Amino acid sequence: MWGAWCARCHAQDGSGKIDEPTVSVEPMDFTDCKLTTAEPDADWERAIAKGGPGVGLSPLMPGFEDSLTAEQISGFVAHMRGFCKETGWPNGNNNFPRPIITEKAFPENEFLILPAVSHDREVEFVALYEQRLGKRSMFEVSVPAVSTATTPRHNGLGDIEIAFKHTVFTNAGNAATGTAPRIVSLGMDFVVPSGDHEGKGIGHGTVLFEPFISAGTMLSNWYLQGQFKMELPIDETKAERAVVYNAYIGRDTSAAPNTWTFGVELNGENHELALTPQVRKGLTGTGALAASIGAMVPLNEREERGVKWVGYLLWEFLEPLRARK
Amino acid sequence: MGRILALGILGTLACAQVAAAQAGSITGTITTSAKGTAPVRVTIDQKVCGNELPDEAIVVDAQGRLANAVISVVGLKRSVSSETVVSNEKCRFGPRVQLARPNANVRTTSKDPILHTTQAQTENGRTIFNVALPVPGINISKPIGAAGTVRLNCNTHPWMRGWVIVTDDAAAISGADGKFTLDNIPPGTYELRVWHEALKGAPQKVTVVAGKPTEISFQLK
Repeated sequence: MWGAWCARCHAQDGSGKIDEPTVSVEPMDFTDCKLTTAEPDADWERAIAKGGPGVGLSPLMPGFEDSLTAEQISGFVAHMRGFCKETGWPNGNNNFPRPIITEKAFPENEFLILPAVSHDREVEFVALYEQRLGKRSMFEVSVPAVSTATTPRHNGLGDIEIAFKHTVFTNAGNAATGTAPRIVSLGMDFVVPSGDHEGKGIGHGTVLFEPFISAGTMLSNWYLQGQFKMELPIDETKAERAVVYNAYIGRDTSAAPNTWTFGVELNGENHELALTPQVRKGLTGTGALAASIGAMVPLNEREERGVKWVGYLLWEFLEPLRARK
Repeated sequence: MGRILALGILGTLACAQVAAAQAGSITGTITTSAKGTAPVRVTIDQKVCGNELPDEAIVVDAQGRLANAVISVVGLKRSVSSETVVSNEKCRFGPRVQLARPNANVRTTSKDPILHTTQAQTENGRTIFNVALPVPGINISKPIGAAGTVRLNCNTHPWMRGWVIVTDDAAAISGADGKFTLDNIPPGTYELRVWHEALKGAPQKVTVVAGKPTEISFQLK
């Protein structure tokens, strides 16, 4: 059926290149693995079911939900995935919504602004750039801008972080057999002491190495994500060694790219524990822009720590299925 | 109680008959000096579509009488009550031009054993819906949206074109002989507008009198 229907615009080989096109916009190239592997089956199924207008893509793509069964639509997604002839690309079924604190395992192309306001009114904005490298890796650079809670306030750039992440294990999962998708990635954060630690009390004042492991899976319709990280300062008189552990559970309220996703994180650093209930919302038709907000509520030492407001604004600017041409 | 109800119904019927007797009608002919365009050469799905199809953008007979023009009576509310059905047959939308009331469901259906799509677009190019018709016998109903001119495209057969005029004004479409009839028009003076997908004509004022047809003709350019 690919040949009779889809190939009319997407070509027999999935490249979207045909001799006498009947549409004015050249379709996406499904032989490009970074396009065909990056997002979950559900996103592609919705694009076929609702057509371009339903997912913020070209209105020239018709919807098939009134003419095909869900099984037939899933079959087309599997066929489309098959146009990527290279092995080793992590399957997009492991690309779960990003929690606010927990580092997700799937490599991403995105730009984020992460604001945070602590109970004593320390304000931080982190600009974070993430870009995929090759099939399974990613690097990121984050630059924080901090306004301290001291009197008078000190404002300045905090410690710049450079991180690298590599997916070591991934399993696409199989809805038919009930096998959940699974992904595990290893990474390392390097914290550069660019903040004025001595003068303003911003930043750690020492280099930190932060090796971490991130993992994700699904349980029924629930996203489960976790991260374990060591924070290892070079100069232990300036910063403490720490063990950081984050776990997230959440679920979408619909299959639409602009769905609401409700979740909660358990965030731990040494003996300090917090719960961070949060809500995420896709802001555009393709979900290329999304925002999340949460409240980090301490579970111990409540008086000293208080509630911290956290969140992000995310732009998947390089993701082919999201960033419309 | 039953007698009161029966009397009420009789009274309503009587009123309706009086109203019909007092109403007038508007008839006329649409003409043009424009010529029909050359047939379209089919380059795909020739087994189903044939090698050539008429270009129906301007359907005009030897006397210059023009089909598929829509004449509407501005402000005279009268919704189309019948269902609007778009058929895909031998790679043509049929009928080429139709009426629908605002927010009505428009049904699209295919008789061809090939993939058609029905993309409905507003005048400013926004897509109202785009549905695939991959197999013959399928029927899909979708809301057509607010009043306006809706263009229908098929994304697999670029020559296919249809129009749905979404209006709650009284309206009629000229036939193959260029003639149109608007029945049951209460006496009064109205503005008549004419729409055609490729040609234009100026609106005209018309005064309808009770019990007889009023003749009016449009010349489109």
